[in-house]
Amino acid sequence: MKLKKGQVAITLGVMCFVLVFGIGIQLKTTKNLEQAVGSTYRENALRDEVLKWKEQYDHIYATLENAEKQLEKERKVSISSDDNSVEKQKELKELNMYLGLTEVEGEGITITLRDNTSSLISTSTDLVHDGDLRAVVNELKNAGAEAISINGQRIVPSTSINCVGTVIQVNDEVVGAPFIIKAIGNKGNLNSGIMRPGGFIEWLVEDGINVETKTSDNIKINKYNGVLTDKYIK
Amino acid sequence: MKKGKGIMTITMGVICFVLAYVMFMQFRTIEETNITQIENMRESELSEKLASWKEKYEETSLKLEETNAKLQEYKQKREANEEASELLDRELAQAKAIVGLTDVRGNGVIITYTEDTTTESGKIRDSDLIELVNELKLAGAEAISINDQRITNMSNIINVDIDGKKFILIDKKRVTSPYTIKAIGDPKYLESALTTKTIGFVTRHDNATLQRENNITINKYNGDIKVRYSNEVVKEEE
Repeated sequence: MKLKKGQVAITLGVMCFVLVFGIGIQLKTTKNLEQAVGSTYRENALRDEVLKWKEQYDHIYATLENAEKQLEKERKVSISSDDNSVEKQKELKELNMYLGLTEVEGEGITITLRDNTSSLISTSTDLVHDGDLRAVVNELKNAGAEAISINGQRIVPSTSINCVGTVIQVNDEVVGAPFIIKAIGNKGNLNSGIMRPGGFIEWLVEDGINVETKTSDNIKINKYNGVLTDKYIK
Repeated sequence: MKKGKGIMTITMGVICFVLAYVMFMQFRTIEETNITQIENMRESELSEKLASWKEKYEETSLKLEETNAKLQEYKQKREANEEASELLDRELAQAKAIVGLTDVRGNGVIITYTEDTTTESGKIRDSDLIELVNELKLAGAEAISINDQRITNMSNIINVDIDGKKFILIDKKRVTSPYTIKAIGDPKYLESALTTKTIGFVTRHDNATLQRENNITINKYNGDIKVRYSNEVVKEEE
């Protein structure tokens, strides 16, 4: 009986300790968060503005997608069925695929890049940098890729891959490790192309970056989530 | 004795419940503050994001107007029983210009980038040209060429080493220094982005100079674009 009481007390004591510890951690986290948020009035006002514009953008983008679907349908029924016009429509579709404006599927390769976490002292070469991603994309293009994406961000003519502070941005959107790079094209050529001796992937592996490649018969690459402008070209 | 134990158990139970409840509430609070990354951004980042969303909004709204106008034109032609092939030709021409299959004109910048093989930092590699193209794209360039070779969406720039001699190939064609890089876009913006203190490409490279220029002509891509392995994913209508 006495022992049992002791056990109960210890159990409850441990439970209380765990709970208090949990609360302690959370209070600390909350405090840190508040510091990071630095809730000045100006920042909050800006935050609201950003959210408002993002919402407006999402809305108008959805409207545009809808209008483009309608345009495609209308084009189909408006165009006469002579071979010439059918051929032109096909060409337009191909150009849009090349530009990254349509979701596509086909055979190809998936490359996964992971930071090197095995070395005791991590150095700059252990991490995947923006320059590495640019180089891998360039290698894939050289190997005959037709469509490429990094973590779901489609590579289009306006795409830039940049380091902003400590994060990497593709198409102005943040992407993080592991980097999953998908490419559609002849899978044999893609594979041998990126594995060429003296090629960039060889360098990356030597640096200790964890590189995984896998060819497949069915890779899906989503379309660009934005618009391509032609304001300045005539 | 028995009664005392009961009270203690209840007390402990209540305490545990209260503690668990407080924890739960805090979890919720933290979750709410983490809904978007936007919550953790600082003022300068926020202003940048705001400007970028506004710009994206403007671009999308222009594109929407354009798409709606085309839609109306097709409809009118159809109702009037007229041929719509002229409109299709215009759409095709527009897409070709963006792809790089036609010569284009416009204002922008011209960068001259000359190799100096006597110093390590003066050497020009594929990655330097890739970086420059990347920076021009970030600054909104709509058409780019290097030594009159048009950069398309699938253009590639690689180093090759043949019998100890180093070459740079753009789309399998050899290019040599001095490199003339033409870019069409907002000249003011292109210039300020590439000459930004400490981080702009031209600022970082002594062997690169930039010139704003009006009415630049950029040649079309000298090759075929091929789409052989990609098939369009057709979404079922909702």
